[in-house]
Amino acid sequence: MESLLFYAFAGMAIVSALLLVNIRNTARALFLLFIVLFAMAGLYLFALADFIAITQILVYVGGVLILLIFAFMLSNKELLDDLQSTSKRFISLPNWQALVLALIFMSVMVYSYISWSEHIPQWIQQSEAKGKIILSTDNNIEVLGFKFMTQYVLPFEIISVFLMMALIGAAHLSRKEDNK
Amino acid sequence: MLCPLLAFLIQALLGKKSISGNIALVAILASTLISLFGVFLPIWNETTVLQKWAWFTIGQHTLHVGILVNNLTALMQLVVCIIALPVHIYSRAYMKGDSGIHRYWMYLSLFCFAMLGLTVSLNLLQLYIFWELVGFASYLLIGFWFTKETAAQANKKAFLINRIGDIGFLIGIALVYANCGTLDLSTLFGETSVLSSIDKNTSWVTFAGLAFFLGAMAKSAQFPLHIWLPDAMEGPTAVSSLIHAATMVAAGVFLLCTVFPLFNETVLLVITIIGTLTALSAALFALGQYDIKKVLAFSTISQLGFMMVGVGIGAWNAAMFHLTTHAFFKCLLFLSAGAVIHEMAHLKAKAQLAIDPQDLRHMGGLRHFMPKTFVCMVIASLSLAGFPLTSGYLSKDSIVITAYEWANHLGAAYMLIPILLIIVSLLTAFYIGRLIFKTFFGSFKYRSLTAAGISFHEAPKAMLIPMFFLAAGSLFPFFGISLTDYHSAWIMHTLETDSSYPTLAQAHLFIPALLTGGAILVWLIGWNWYVKQKYPLSENNVLVYFAHKQGYINEFNERVFVNGVIKLSRILYTFDRYVVDGLTKFFSWFVRQLSVVVYWFDKHIVDGLVNLAANATYYIGHLVRHVQNGQLQTYLGFALTIVVLGILYLIIK
Amino acid sequence: MITLTHFLVVSACIFCIGLYAVLAKRNTIMILVGIELMINAAILNFVAFGKYDKLNYAGQVFALFAIVLAAAAVAVGLAIILNVYRSFKTINPKNIHELKD
Repeated sequence: MESLLFYAFAGMAIVSALLLVNIRNTARALFLLFIVLFAMAGLYLFALADFIAITQILVYVGGVLILLIFAFMLSNKELLDDLQSTSKRFISLPNWQALVLALIFMSVMVYSYISWSEHIPQWIQQSEAKGKIILSTDNNIEVLGFKFMTQYVLPFEIISVFLMMALIGAAHLSRKEDNK
Repeated sequence: MLCPLLAFLIQALLGKKSISGNIALVAILASTLISLFGVFLPIWNETTVLQKWAWFTIGQHTLHVGILVNNLTALMQLVVCIIALPVHIYSRAYMKGDSGIHRYWMYLSLFCFAMLGLTVSLNLLQLYIFWELVGFASYLLIGFWFTKETAAQANKKAFLINRIGDIGFLIGIALVYANCGTLDLSTLFGETSVLSSIDKNTSWVTFAGLAFFLGAMAKSAQFPLHIWLPDAMEGPTAVSSLIHAATMVAAGVFLLCTVFPLFNETVLLVITIIGTLTALSAALFALGQYDIKKVLAFSTISQLGFMMVGVGIGAWNAAMFHLTTHAFFKCLLFLSAGAVIHEMAHLKAKAQLAIDPQDLRHMGGLRHFMPKTFVCMVIASLSLAGFPLTSGYLSKDSIVITAYEWANHLGAAYMLIPILLIIVSLLTAFYIGRLIFKTFFGSFKYRSLTAAGISFHEAPKAMLIPMFFLAAGSLFPFFGISLTDYHSAWIMHTLETDSSYPTLAQAHLFIPALLTGGAILVWLIGWNWYVKQKYPLSENNVLVYFAHKQGYINEFNERVFVNGVIKLSRILYTFDRYVVDGLTKFFSWFVRQLSVVVYWFDKHIVDGLVNLAANATYYIGHLVRHVQNGQLQTYLGFALTIVVLGILYLIIK
Repeated sequence: MITLTHFLVVSACIFCIGLYAVLAKRNTIMILVGIELMINAAILNFVAFGKYDKLNYAGQVFALFAIVLAAAAVAVGLAIILNVYRSFKTINPKNIHELKD
């Protein structure tokens, strides 16, 4: 049952992603991205990262995706033309070189993962042997809160400042330059 | 010797400003004084003075330039100076007002320099250089009135014919140098002569002698190369007197005297025959001429023939003697003729007559108007005719008598030469008598004009003084005390040659008497014919016409040489065109074909390699250029490709 | 049983799809989407490995950092896209070739 669910989520993510890259309609592609992100969040759950999954849904679906849709809508005149003129085919293969490259890369990665899984690193084996792995019964959110405020306080602060900088920068960049 | 050169340079620098000729006059005066007191008097009868400087070295041989002054050259130099001086003075009056006067003085100075250089040259090459310079100056002076068509033609003719002689001279020089290894006159002909050790009967000696004689023939206007001299009379009369009567044409004789030891008997015989032929033909032609200057020109040629005979019979001292005396009286004749022409030209200009001022037929009875000129002319004519008491008598008789002795020594067939010479002498007397009679006797055709107020008067003083001086020089005391014995003349005395034949006492009596008597006889005939108007021959007589046309030699030359040359050149042209050009064309065609092949090779193989490299680079660049297409995605793709390749490499390793 | 390798293979698939999107799409927004996919694949790897690190929770912590960074990247990227659209009147990267030689 658990693995079935995992495969369902994985399949949904992969198929949706494939559709996403091959669809012509950008608006539909963005909604397919919505599905992919949900499926990914589901996969995070299987990795026992419930807080990450929730954050994924909150940040991505609630923030990034909305932002992308806004951007699409702000710049879509040409895209709409493109959409109307080439909407005959539902799926298109626009760039075989990129496809070949991506497939080669994937095969390389898959090959290396599989060959790597033969000799799992020592720390994973040790953790498994000592039982020091995250279990589904653990309260992840509390531990993460402690970790952020204690062990990872410096990266946390840096990333906060960085996020603020990025947002201010984004706001500045997207501001209309009316002085010109 | 360098004075005239200096004068030439100064005048060349001054250009048109030097119109008076004073510089040239001073220069020639200085030269005369130096050559008389500084060179002639000390050297005469003394040892030879020799001064030489190394000129250039070819291989082992060093050529020297320098000055060689011996009796012969000192005499020649003195003659040149002494003749040049009066001519310069005369020219001042004669050439006054001519627009090209500055050029005239310049050329005259150049000529004097060249002529003096010629006389004192040490080696044959130096002599040749001055020889050419003399020819060049002569060319310039003949063509002095270069706007005149005939003058321009005449100087071309003179130049071309002199080229023939120059070739001969040059071949002679080359032969001498090749066989003797030196061109130094003192070494060649001095006491320790190179030639004394050479067998004179070898063919190269004959050739060299003939070559030198060819050079002298052209310069001294010997038959058949004499044709340039009558035409050269287109130059100013003063120039004619200096160059074409007295000095330059004598250069050929001088050359023969200089290289005399080189000649063997064959060459000498040729010289004698040519000389006789020249003397005879020129005397005949002189009979038919109407142009006063041309009569004198043929007379010059005839007398040069005499000199040649003198050289040919071995009496080169007699030849030099005749050269000297001839220089005086012929120069005087020309100057007198110049005076006459001058006045005739004035008359023509004033009365606006369409006549040739040089034509004898328009003259006559001038002795009333120009008595002094008349006297001078008569003295010169007597001298030319070989009348007693004149210098011409001594020198001419010396040649004729020596020729007689020579012929007597050799045999009967050779007697033809002295007989011909005597005939020529008589003819000379006749034509010069004709000249005098026609010019100065009879009635003046334009007497009505002088009555109408157009004055016709004596030549100016500046022209008369040189004439008097030369007239004095034409008389016998200038050359020797003895009236009749030419052996006692000082020139003969010093330039004594050892003759190989006996002296004939009766010839010394018999020949002068014959000549004088004959001369008087022909003068009487001439008087009858020309003064008394009892001319026996019509003007259109064939013989006269023949003589007037100078024996059709010009026409003959025209026919034979000019047409021949034209035909030959046509043939050569055809040959050239079809054979030489054909070969050339074939070669060029061949080369072109070859070049096409080479071109192809070059283009497709050599260039192909280069182009291949270039194109390969280009196409690679073209291929790689797509990488730099500004597409971020492509950049990314390439970067990723490299990464993938790197990972694959790591995996495979 | 769901092992680590399952997660890795899935993440590899998602990553390569994102990669393909980045290389092939003719729309800048879709390229950004591709980048998001790749980041998600990375995050999946983080959490998959983080399962075995109870002591530090490093996987999950850095997954959160990555999410934040992705959000910041998207924000900045979209701002850039807007500017590009303003100056080029297009968001097709084919038409933006200022870097061309």
